[in-house]
Amino acid sequence: MNAKTLEIQQFLQLSEKLTAFSEFQLQGTGQLEEYYEAVYQIIGEKNMIQLLTTFDKIQDETASDETAFDKQFRAKVLSDEKLGPITRSIIKLWFVGTWYQLPKSWNETFGLLENDKTYVISPSAYKEGLLWPTIGSHPMGAKAPGYGTWSAPPEIPAID
Amino acid sequence: MSNDHGGLSTIVDHKTAASTNYDAVIVGSGISGAIAAKELSEKGFKVLILEAGPGKDLSLNGYEKYLDNFYTATSKDNNAPFPRNPNAPMPRGTDVDSLRPGEPNSDNFLVQNGPLVTDTTYCKVVGGTTMHFESKTPRMIPEDFHMKDNYDVGINWPIDYKELQPYYRTAEKEMGVSGEVASQNITGTDNYAEGYVFPMHGMPPSYLDQTVGKGLNGMKVNMKGEEHTLQVRPFPQGRNGIPNVEYKEFNDGENFVPEGAVSLHQAEIGERCQGNNNCTPICPVQAKYDARKTLVKALRTGYADLLPQTVASKVVVDDNGKVTEIEYKHYDSMESSEYESGSFKGKIFVLAANAIENARLMLASGLQSTSKLMGKNFMDHPYLLTWGLLPEVAGTMRGTVCTSGISDLRSGEFRKDHAAFAIDIHNDGWGWATGSPYTNLHDIVDNMNKYGKELRHELVNQISTQLLMAVMIELLPDPSNSITVSPDYTDRLGNMRPIVSLSIPDYTLKAVEKARQVTRQVFQRLGAEDHTSYDPLDFGYVSYNGEGYALRGGNHIAGTHIMGDDKATSVVDKYQKSWDHENLYLIGAGSMPSIGTSNTTLTLAALCFMSTKKMLEDLI
Ligand SMILES: Cc1cc2nc3c(=O)[nH]c(=O)nc-3n(C[C@H](O)[C@H](O)[C@H](O)COP(=O)(O)OP(=O)(O)OC[C@H]3O[C@@H](n4cnc5c(N)ncnc54)[C@H](O)[C@@H]3O)c2cc1C
Ligand code: SF4
Repeated sequence: MNAKTLEIQQFLQLSEKLTAFSEFQLQGTGQLEEYYEAVYQIIGEKNMIQLLTTFDKIQDETASDETAFDKQFRAKVLSDEKLGPITRSIIKLWFVGTWYQLPKSWNETFGLLENDKTYVISPSAYKEGLLWPTIGSHPMGAKAPGYGTWSAPPEIPAID
Repeated sequence: MSNDHGGLSTIVDHKTAASTNYDAVIVGSGISGAIAAKELSEKGFKVLILEAGPGKDLSLNGYEKYLDNFYTATSKDNNAPFPRNPNAPMPRGTDVDSLRPGEPNSDNFLVQNGPLVTDTTYCKVVGGTTMHFESKTPRMIPEDFHMKDNYDVGINWPIDYKELQPYYRTAEKEMGVSGEVASQNITGTDNYAEGYVFPMHGMPPSYLDQTVGKGLNGMKVNMKGEEHTLQVRPFPQGRNGIPNVEYKEFNDGENFVPEGAVSLHQAEIGERCQGNNNCTPICPVQAKYDARKTLVKALRTGYADLLPQTVASKVVVDDNGKVTEIEYKHYDSMESSEYESGSFKGKIFVLAANAIENARLMLASGLQSTSKLMGKNFMDHPYLLTWGLLPEVAGTMRGTVCTSGISDLRSGEFRKDHAAFAIDIHNDGWGWATGSPYTNLHDIVDNMNKYGKELRHELVNQISTQLLMAVMIELLPDPSNSITVSPDYTDRLGNMRPIVSLSIPDYTLKAVEKARQVTRQVFQRLGAEDHTSYDPLDFGYVSYNGEGYALRGGNHIAGTHIMGDDKATSVVDKYQKSWDHENLYLIGAGSMPSIGTSNTTLTLAALCFMSTKKMLEDLI
């Protein structure tokens, strides 16, 4: 595995935790590489590596203990001044295909990032947003489920 | 009759067009202009259609570009699929701001003179506003045509429901309406021809509609002492469903064939609506009616020429008031302010540019009409949004934008005292009111600090239970609500921009208050959490009787050149022919003297079909 493949793999594992969709489902969107690449371009190599290694370390230390993971992940990532906002933007990216610009306070502390602006990554990113399957629906204007399907109760996928 | 131009003459250049003497010059390629073009060209009359916006590419390719624009737009507003075009600008819902006291706000295309600011929009591309309309197609009800006689408010129409009825049927065929007649019998009288069915069966109601109906059907409300019983009813809509075989009787014995994706060359069988929940702004499979479906029928005759990116800038009349020509400005590129100008000639002239733009063009040409009512009596439906969370998952965010609603408060003696209203149940949840589902995602991630499983549970809790009731409220004609122009406000090509003055009278505000009360009762009955709140800083904020409400524009612009029996009190006659200019028609919702509680397009389409009969008489 070269360095980049490894990082994408770590990014995938992080994404699984953030979204509660399985690696298999995330791969199935076909968006993994595009998102990794986009986030890399936006936050830069150093921040990306810091995020992934921090995550990796927590994974290692907490193994399959979910409560312990949650505690550490909140302490070292979500409440971290630098990594928290980045992580929240990655969550939203998976759910609606849009990168949301980091908050001003982030810029004041860590500086401006040239590529950090709010934008929809691509038409397919919009269509593959995880929000839609989460609520038993489909992105507005794409992946239509077929005539009359809307009269049946929604099929909201169980979370394993 | 000039039937010497055979062949498919859709590609015409401005020079050729300018040296052609057309039977009819039509301004606007929306549904009004498209109906006129189709009806005249099918009879062999040579027509020219000027369209201010772009859209030469009527093929799938051009349409797919709009779709991609939509997918990648961060703001998915009604005009998101269409690029900004300073040469033929259009209002955008996202552009509105509150007024600064004492001066009109001219920051955006529509100059807002207040007191109420409106976020109403329309669209300047080939196909006009139907390119992003929702395509709900209820008829008006008979009493709407006699507001003065029946309720001593508003203005009577010069025609009644019965006279328009056959044209309603023609319009329902043209727009490909799916629906069930039984659900439309809201006044208890027989408003449809015996045995009539719509071309296609009704769209199945959404699971959300059914959930609401279960709890709400049979609910009684008191309207000024009259008891009304509420029921969730499906709406007729112009989108492809399953053809109704019984429609044959109203279709010369033929089965109804839905219109498919627009193409100049073949008439494909239309795909059924697939429930994309995206009818506004753009239907990906073209199951929804849009005016290009009518326009291509005109173009296929070979007697219709279409010139996009060509803005009518002046209607020129002679000493007798007869229109001699229409001046235009044609631009090649949306990126450049360069244009060339010229004029087109015809026997008759038809302005089909919509209620705001017809008035704008006439006033910019110095033509106010004898009645001085050009631009006056501007109407639109104010909408009051109310939103709550149901106690169970109702599968919100699925189906067409809206499949059902409550129509029982459209009619009644209470109309002497306050406006009637109709309630839509929005399958797209709180979107219109709060920006959901995006705002929910932000809140859950940024404020509730959820991720993973908890995030997913919370998304379902907050979104799949949403109920938004959008109340469409009648606004009567009032000369002080108006469209005007001023040389102080022009667009990049130097055309004067419309200035809107709008205030909401007590007659309508009383209905706003009542509508809020009724929707509260609905939430109470359903055991739903009412989350409705109105921000005093909202651009559409109004106060009435000690309470505040935020109103939204209804996109049903009408009434700027109302029809009547008399030159002194109206702008056009019942055929939408100008009283002052014998060879000029102003067509569309601008001619309507009232708008009741119906989305305007089916009615304006019926009126256009009726007008084309008269145009044909003029031309023969
Ligand atoms: C979001 C939205 C939802 C809606 N939903 C519904 C609904 O569910 N049901 C319903 O009945 N109605 C609905 N409407 C209203 C409906 O879209 C309009 O009533 C209808 O499209 C008007 O048709 P029209 O042909 O009269 O005008 P338009 O469609 O506005 O067409 C006018 C055309 O003229 C062109 N034009 C303007 N000025 C000039 C000029 N000077 N020179 C050349 N061309 C010019 C414009 O570019 C435009 O293409 C909705 C509207 C919106 C915005
Ligand atoms: S629900 Fe979808 S397929 Fe149906 S008309 Fe609307 S956008 Fe088109």
